[in-house]
Amino acid sequence: MSRTNDVYILAAKQISVQPPLTDEWMDAPVRYDAPCARAIDPDYRQHFAPNVARRLGKILKRAMLTSRQAMAASGVANPDAVVTATGLGCIENTELFLDALVREGEELLKPTCFMHSTHNAIGSLIAIDARCHGYNSTCVHKGISFECALDDAFAQLGSNRIQTALVGAHDEMTPSYFALLKRTGYLGHAPNGFSGEVALSMMLATTPGDSALCRLRGVELEYNPDAETLQKTLGRMLQSAQCSLEEVDAVMTGVSGLPSNDRVYASICPELLPNKKQLRYKHLFGESYTAPGLGVYAAAVCLCRQRIPAHLFVGGQSGEQRGVRHILCYNHFEGKNHSLILLSACGK
Amino acid sequence: MEELILQLKQEIIKVLNLEDVKPEDIADDAPLFGEGLGLDSIDALELIVLMEKMYGIKLQDPAQGREIFKSIRVMAEYIHANRSK
Repeated sequence: MSRTNDVYILAAKQISVQPPLTDEWMDAPVRYDAPCARAIDPDYRQHFAPNVARRLGKILKRAMLTSRQAMAASGVANPDAVVTATGLGCIENTELFLDALVREGEELLKPTCFMHSTHNAIGSLIAIDARCHGYNSTCVHKGISFECALDDAFAQLGSNRIQTALVGAHDEMTPSYFALLKRTGYLGHAPNGFSGEVALSMMLATTPGDSALCRLRGVELEYNPDAETLQKTLGRMLQSAQCSLEEVDAVMTGVSGLPSNDRVYASICPELLPNKKQLRYKHLFGESYTAPGLGVYAAAVCLCRQRIPAHLFVGGQSGEQRGVRHILCYNHFEGKNHSLILLSACGK
Repeated sequence: MEELILQLKQEIIKVLNLEDVKPEDIADDAPLFGEGLGLDSIDALELIVLMEKMYGIKLQDPAQGREIFKSIRVMAEYIHANRSK
């Protein structure tokens, strides 16, 4: 598919374990010691009529609110496409429905929980709320769900099929699912990072408008690549963006504190991205299937504000970095799925 | 009957997640659908499930709901006359 359009991130809004709907984490991040943190919810009564809110689970309220705010901030009232990423979907409602299924002997099931127990309930609800009758897709690919959604929107925007796309990353964590992850050793064992929740909505467009956060220059995904393949993919993406590796200011990684996760970055980054400063975001936002969306969001905010706070640097840095032009987001899931996303400051 | 009406109001508030509504806010004779509480067709399904689960009443014809769910009082009277638990 040939590219004809530039792609911009016009706005991004989050509800996560950091203060909701703000970028306060840049200067005053909330720190967590617990192995599992739930999102900090805003007062939804300020945003939804009671008859609208009463039927929605938390993930749906979060998705709707971040979407509305991303649309308001970008001035795009009716996006051409809604592309949603979720690893677990509406897991809370799914659990309620399945529990009732077992408890009631597959009878007397609650219709609301049933309707909201599907993964694409999130994207559907956003589209209904936004009156968006265009392309609507939900990517459910565990730890690369967000990258798949972003890739989908990026390809369609770049090839002029659409002009605006609302891309979301939404996941919640329930006590029972967390208990399962803890049993597998994936989460919940200090100091292996912590589990968080994510609701992120970002508006992408082919024109920057008045206040785009940054430019999205490239999205690449590879399955089980060797070092040479990854090197070639990075080279191809940089070439397409007419950007050299030397120009990249820093690399946003998914370093989380989990040894099996961080080992992959430690083995790949020195050769693939020599002498590049590494950033992290999972120490602030926690781990979840769609956490990589928050890495892109954090990088976009840094590019917009032209500074990277000291607390984002892996290994620490004495002061913040100013004058940021390009940030490469490099993420992997279980060492098999790898993604490279290049973001640039507007006008670069 | 008054006890059943109160219990019914409490259950409806719980099942339909009417967070800001208290039992005393629901008038016994006020319409449940359209005006009044402003319930809709999905709520009707929830009420059908509630009737069966709480009182053992299985509505054979969903159209019956239109009459039975007219108000809390009508609903309570139907339950009183037909409950099996």
